[in-house]
Amino acid sequence: MLQTVDIGARLRLTLAEFVEDWGLDIEITPETSLVGDLEFDSIDVIQFVVAMENAFQSRKIGFQDLLMQEGRYVDDLTVAQIEAFLRDRLA
Amino acid sequence: MTRTLLIGLDGATFTVLGPFLDGTAPEGVVMPFLAHLIETGYSGTLASTAHPLTPPAWTSVMTGRNPGHHGIYDFVRFEDMGHEVFFTLYDARDIRAETLWQVASRQGKSVVSLNFPMMAPPPEINGALVPGFVSWKHLRRNTWPGGLYDRIKAIPGFDPKELSWDFEREGQIGELMEDAELHAWVDKHLPRDRQWFTIGLTLLQEDRPDLFALMLDGTDKIQHQAWHRLDPALWTGDGDAAAQAVRRLVVDYFRGLDGYLKALHEAAPEAQMIIVSDHGFAGAWTVVRINNYLESLGHLTWRANDGSEAARRRDLSNFANLDWSRTQAFCPTPSSNGIVIRKKSPACPAGVDPADYPAFRAQLIEDLLALRDPETGKQVIARVMTREEAFPGQAMDQAPDLTLFLADHGFVSVRNRVPPVVTRPIPMGTHHPDGIFVMAGPGVRAAKGARLSIVDTTAIAAHSIGLPVPQDFEGKVPADLYDPDWLAQHPVTIGPATLAVAGAGEGATETASETAGTQGTEEDEQREEVLAQLRLLGYIED
Repeated sequence: MLQTVDIGARLRLTLAEFVEDWGLDIEITPETSLVGDLEFDSIDVIQFVVAMENAFQSRKIGFQDLLMQEGRYVDDLTVAQIEAFLRDRLA
Repeated sequence: MTRTLLIGLDGATFTVLGPFLDGTAPEGVVMPFLAHLIETGYSGTLASTAHPLTPPAWTSVMTGRNPGHHGIYDFVRFEDMGHEVFFTLYDARDIRAETLWQVASRQGKSVVSLNFPMMAPPPEINGALVPGFVSWKHLRRNTWPGGLYDRIKAIPGFDPKELSWDFEREGQIGELMEDAELHAWVDKHLPRDRQWFTIGLTLLQEDRPDLFALMLDGTDKIQHQAWHRLDPALWTGDGDAAAQAVRRLVVDYFRGLDGYLKALHEAAPEAQMIIVSDHGFAGAWTVVRINNYLESLGHLTWRANDGSEAARRRDLSNFANLDWSRTQAFCPTPSSNGIVIRKKSPACPAGVDPADYPAFRAQLIEDLLALRDPETGKQVIARVMTREEAFPGQAMDQAPDLTLFLADHGFVSVRNRVPPVVTRPIPMGTHHPDGIFVMAGPGVRAAKGARLSIVDTTAIAAHSIGLPVPQDFEGKVPADLYDPDWLAQHPVTIGPATLAVAGAGEGATETASETAGTQGTEEDEQREEVLAQLRLLGYIED
């Protein structure tokens, strides 16, 4: 079982590496949003799920539950929301 | 020392190459180096996978296994949750067999692999790997080993946006274009092959890998969209100035491609050079709106269109947009050419009762074969294969229940339009099962070979780099490929089977079932945006 602190650090490291070449000048904080701040498009969301599954070495995290809420895809996600989801699933 | 150059030319066909090789094209000999290779080496037709599509076919080249074993059937994988169907992309984790890159690596051989699909996230190999079909935004973390991206970034002229897959541009394939637009579209594709070639030449010269594998896919893209300017049966040389300009551009592409092949060969003259395509090409005149036909048979219901922009986009997407509570059988994507029959379960009450499945499937095959072109009265679906026929193997359960073979080799349309069958004003390039195989170099005979299987390629490449052919490879080294003396000194040996890999698909399936009871089924605009951007190759939409 992963420690909470490890989950947050691994998430931020993965996300920082993910956008490394995108030419963005943004500091990643808990309030940073994928679409609004990091300019994710749909392919990026799919790739980010793959990156997270690799980072946490599991394809069974169930990211659909994060991306879909009450039958609808969410419009955006913050780093804090993702971290809370991962804590719920992994910690 | 590099022993083997394995060069993939996506969709290359002797139909187009023939006149460029023998000089019967209006432009004369366009590809003199390839012509020389064929004259001095071994060549023949290469039969593709049962469904000749890029992801399954190249995965067969890489694994030596057919899709029924390696588990890749399409660009897009879907998970049927019963009340909803989720579409996502196949990736390297879904391949259920070891690749030759991995087999070679664990036996101490070095490998460079460039631009092959389904190679992201990258497997760890003894060498360098840059996957194909990946957006520039995701290249760095999908290259192997760490540090390779910075290395290729330092190559003069490197431009990740030119190198990478442009989803928007590829999504235009299948759209009817005037020549001026087509010229601009083709022109934007040319730098990508040049980028891959430059990276390839650099790594070949600097790393000298035992196995150097590079795939160039401009052939496929250009033939899809400009088939009417390439097919010797269609190009008479009489087009207007705009048509002539397109013709000059596409011919120049093939001339440049010949130069790439020559330069790679000159960088490793001691190596055996193998050139293969994953499938061939042909022209398709007929649009077959297969889900429309299935609707007429009573097997599916379209998702309601409320007249909104989101609904319009859904109907134009390349993904089946259906009312899943009232659908028994459907085609998920145009590239699949497959029909999925849903089986009844608590999560999927709309499905076919398992006891009725054999009769349902048999009747559906009969109905599909009965579909006629209203203009000609001719059958439009020439053949239907069951999954047991087309894709036997451990991964067969992931295959479509039925695979369709259109009379003109075209891809189906999944859009909600009528009528079910119409004729295009010009033919669209489509995949033909017959690709190409060319091999030359030390010990290789100068001969025309019998028709090879795409999985033979992997056995030949394994032997070429000095490895025993794994016993579970499905292909073989042709007996007449080598000079007898050379073969006596380099006999083909059969070695242990490949190692089991962490079968992906597994995780996705379990996730799907875990989620099945918790997800809602409401309409979703962002989902449709996802689908729109996942258009990938727009194979033969209308």
